Amino acid sequence: MNMHKDNMTDKENITFIDDSVISDPVMEAQIARGISDLLNNRAQHLEAEHAQRLSAARNAAVHYLTEQQAQYNTGNQTARHGHVLRWFGHVGQNFEQHRVASTALVLVVMLLTFFAVQQFGSNHNLENSDAFLLASDLPPEAYADKGFDAWIESN
Amino acid sequence: MDRIQLGLRWALLSFLLLVAAVANADEINQTWEQLTESQRQVLNPLASEWDTLRPWQREKMLDIARDYPKMSPEKQGLVKKRLSNWSRMTPYERENARKRHQQFKALPDDKKRELRKKWNEYQQLPESERAKLRAESPETYGDSNLD
Repeated sequence: MNMHKDNMTDKENITFIDDSVISDPVMEAQIARGISDLLNNRAQHLEAEHAQRLSAARNAAVHYLTEQQAQYNTGNQTARHGHVLRWFGHVGQNFEQHRVASTALVLVVMLLTFFAVQQFGSNHNLENSDAFLLASDLPPEAYADKGFDAWIESN
Repeated sequence: MDRIQLGLRWALLSFLLLVAAVANADEINQTWEQLTESQRQVLNPLASEWDTLRPWQREKMLDIARDYPKMSPEKQGLVKKRLSNWSRMTPYERENARKRHQQFKALPDDKKRELRKKWNEYQQLPESERAKLRAESPETYGDSNLD
């Protein structure tokens, strides 16, 4: 890369540039400042037509950037709500936008969990229920009769 | 939007739990005529006194009716035979029986056989003697253990 100082306003600092100069960080920063000054200086003498085109290009770039940012944010929200559906792969991704389906799925899972826990608790307590006490080897009176305990101890 | 969705989910879950609680409360307040046919069949020994039972007594009896279909025919017969006496026991006696039953279940088979034999022998004693033994025995559980 070769540039002549005739094209630069800061003629005292930059005379000739080659690859070895760019590799020096201090010199690189100095060159960047020189380019920036040159552009600013030239920008003050731009024709109206060029200034207008540059302004339009800048507006288009900002608009494009804003749209990209909005799409990114929406994508993130969808991913938060639809991550369960992502488990179903490609088909699931088609449903990511359907928040109702996602909510329904979460509710169904919650309900199934609730009933499963209830069923497990019911089975767990079954052997301790009064029904099994009544069907025990001894009648309930045998368990409740204090006299029976005393009689066993005395015998 | 996130908060609205989360709120909706919790509201729906709360509603379902509330419905379940109300359904349970309704069940224990049912009269004999309002019970299902299967519940009436199991609880038939209590038909004449069902409407006089307290809600907590009904709840326990309905639990028995719920567990009844899970039992073998032999055990179902025992339940029906003993249900009437069970309903006439006091809350204290029932709680005592539950705790003794737990202890009994933990015994080895030979001890269980021995206890069954002892119970039969005890039943042969005159009622006056059994009443005397009961009167002389100290209370085992306090009121805090009642149903």
